[in-house]
Amino acid sequence: MVSKKRRHRDPLIIRTPEGLYCPKARAHIDPWRPVDCALITHAHADHARAGSKHYHCARGGEGLLAKRLGDHIIEPHSYGEPFSLGDVQISFHPAGHVLGSAQIRLDDGESVWVITGDYKRDLDPTCQPFEPILCDVLITEATFALPIYRWPSMDQVMDQLFGWWDHHIRNQRTPVLLCYSLGKAQRIMAEIKQRSDRSVQVHGAVANLNIEYEKQGVQLCPWQRASESDKGVSTDLIIAPPQVAGSSFLKRFHPTELAMASGWMQVRGVRRRSAIHQGFVVSDHADWNSLIKTVKQSEAIEVFATHGETRVLTRYLNDHLGISAERLETAFGIEDGIDQ
Amino acid sequence: MNFVHLFQMLDTNQSTNAKRSALVEFIETAHPLESALAVEALTGRRERRQLKPSLLKQAAYQAFADESWLFEECYAAVGDLSETLAILLANQEAVSQTEDPVLAQWQACQRELSKKEPDALTSDLLGLLSVMSRDEAFLFLKLSSGGFRVGVSKGLVHDAIARAIDMDRAVIEERMMGAFIPDEDWLHRLKEPVTQHELDARPLPFLLANPLSESDVLELDPNHVAVEYKWDGIRAQLIKTHETIRLWSRGDQDITEQFPDIIEAATTLPSQLILDGEILAGSPEQLQTFNDLQTRLNRKRITQNLLKTNPAFFKAYDLLRFDGEDMRTQPLTVRKNILSKINVIQSQVIYPAAHQDIQDMRLKARIEGAEGIMIKDRQSTYVGGRKTGHWWKWKLDPMTADCVLIYAQAGHGRRASLHSDYTLACWNQNNELVPVAKAYSGLTDAELKAMDQWIRKHTLQKFGPVRQVEAVQVFEIGFEGIARSTRHKSGIALRFPRILRWRQDVGPQDADHLSHFETLMSDSNAV
Repeated sequence: MVSKKRRHRDPLIIRTPEGLYCPKARAHIDPWRPVDCALITHAHADHARAGSKHYHCARGGEGLLAKRLGDHIIEPHSYGEPFSLGDVQISFHPAGHVLGSAQIRLDDGESVWVITGDYKRDLDPTCQPFEPILCDVLITEATFALPIYRWPSMDQVMDQLFGWWDHHIRNQRTPVLLCYSLGKAQRIMAEIKQRSDRSVQVHGAVANLNIEYEKQGVQLCPWQRASESDKGVSTDLIIAPPQVAGSSFLKRFHPTELAMASGWMQVRGVRRRSAIHQGFVVSDHADWNSLIKTVKQSEAIEVFATHGETRVLTRYLNDHLGISAERLETAFGIEDGIDQ
Repeated sequence: MNFVHLFQMLDTNQSTNAKRSALVEFIETAHPLESALAVEALTGRRERRQLKPSLLKQAAYQAFADESWLFEECYAAVGDLSETLAILLANQEAVSQTEDPVLAQWQACQRELSKKEPDALTSDLLGLLSVMSRDEAFLFLKLSSGGFRVGVSKGLVHDAIARAIDMDRAVIEERMMGAFIPDEDWLHRLKEPVTQHELDARPLPFLLANPLSESDVLELDPNHVAVEYKWDGIRAQLIKTHETIRLWSRGDQDITEQFPDIIEAATTLPSQLILDGEILAGSPEQLQTFNDLQTRLNRKRITQNLLKTNPAFFKAYDLLRFDGEDMRTQPLTVRKNILSKINVIQSQVIYPAAHQDIQDMRLKARIEGAEGIMIKDRQSTYVGGRKTGHWWKWKLDPMTADCVLIYAQAGHGRRASLHSDYTLACWNQNNELVPVAKAYSGLTDAELKAMDQWIRKHTLQKFGPVRQVEAVQVFEIGFEGIARSTRHKSGIALRFPRILRWRQDVGPQDADHLSHFETLMSDSNAV
């Protein structure tokens, strides 16, 4: 179903009820149901699901994956080092999304397919930068495939964040930054570390992942787990997942000021509807320009767009860049509306 | 601080306090012309559209050329035209400068742009946006296209101005009335010393009443109190100085502009006067409901038509200043006496000789359209707040019954085509529905319309203009009193029956029995 008029016989990757599947390798990519062999792009819940017999992932991500999946067979591979499954050569390449995230390259000698998984092109001190790969067929995410999504520089965002942080501690309020606990939280802590000696307190969900990041040598700013006993206004920034908004976790820091770090914060209406008054535009996904750049650099003759604004991206590629593009329904993306 | 910075502070802070401090800081630190133009925009005085939305779209189409569908996709995702353009066409790398004034310059740009032909205009606009930061572009477009809104009220702006220059808010509100000239001297004009006239134009703290129950009333000495009706309107002070007439509500709001009819009526009053009283809907002869009054408060513009459909008047009951003299330390009887000589609509007052007189007045309150009675110490002075021993209020308990609609008839005047006059019945001992009341009003227009349609569809018989309908619809009626009557089949007559609400939640079997009225009657006799 994936391939329509390709010159090659059979498509290397097809869609099955379990997810994307490479019949020649007998391996699924980020399957959403238990399978025998799973190739995992990264450890976010919508891509890494428990229950499969054997997992392959990029080296560096196995610790996070183990935390997510529990007791499973996980085989890590270094970036760029190919291994064979059946007649297919498979390799993991940096995706720049979160620690240990990967694009997956599959080569059966006739064609090369690349599945990007989630990725970004902006630099991130917590993971290796995205690496463009030449291929025949590219399967790309499209979470933010609209020209309104153009990420500001991290310098700009961090200036804004520090200004907001200082403003509220001067006014005796605890600054609380809500963001996804795997990846976004650590990225922000690493950016803080590069710019200051500021320290943060984190929610338990973030703390567990911080340990794994530090184990992999990622430099985070000084942090401690927010404890029950600390009461009152904190001059540290509190970093917590969005689910804590309105929960008892925040009570101990009262009064608090909430902000959210997410690509969705680019739109004022989205921020205002979320009842969060300060938003920082930080995303671990590719923005519009990065998506287009990536498609061009891959030199793919056929592109499939998975989750997000797939309709816009495929129309743009077909109509304006002359690249054959199609939408591909998957179960990735949008988990509780949070930009992961 | 400049306007861009102020906007960022207002937009990203949720608490009123934080917004107020941002406004205060802005007024204190901004260039006076910047703050003048900002205040003009924030108080909704700049409604003129310099750039039409269609022109903004045209600029976007020009920028996107053959990819204009992509612009439409973006617009759909963002939901706001100015914001979409700002995101797409402003300089993403530019950081808003937050100090130097921007508004005067933007106004000049708008004026220049509006003089141009559409094609040149869109090119110039694109050039302008490309050197602005996103917030700057957003604000520039919002202000230019007339859609600027940010979550601050006019009152909050006035409050912030008052704090920034350490002035009384009432004086600021007064000075901000009418035309506002946004120039560099605006703060100086506001800061000029408070004149005696302005002091005179300020409302005085309202005296509030304490609630009272029946047993409390028996403990009062009737010879020491005055009694009047308690009106269901808007408590207000009517303030007339040498120069102005103003109405201030208890909520510290100047509501002069909402009631031109009351202001007009007050022109014949002596000046240097403050009256305490109630704004009521309708006329002294024909009171309307509180809802009719709300309509007046909620409108931004009071049209001639609204003055006709929702007239209002001021019923005075106290005199706080007379001929420039503070009357508040005078006893109530003295104030009432002088008030009675002023040609103004005023609340009738009685000086009871016995407890019975107080209770009689309360029983009559309903008929008068009042919600109870006020009992005031004859010797009391007028002081601000809820002081004990000055004023008491004794509200009415409504008499009600649930009745079934059995006949309907077309109304008159505005309701000529609607079946709005209802004959309502209750159950007797033989399980028959017997008429107890005819009621005319109390339903909303929408309810009346719905009922009219229902009546037409469920008519059993017609007797001339009267339709007998299926006994299905139940209404709660309110009334002032019950008397025995030999002329009615039910044996009772209700005084001033009116529909309180349409009981769509109950069926005819749930309506009241005659015995309910018997009980009410014996209760009211006991009072």
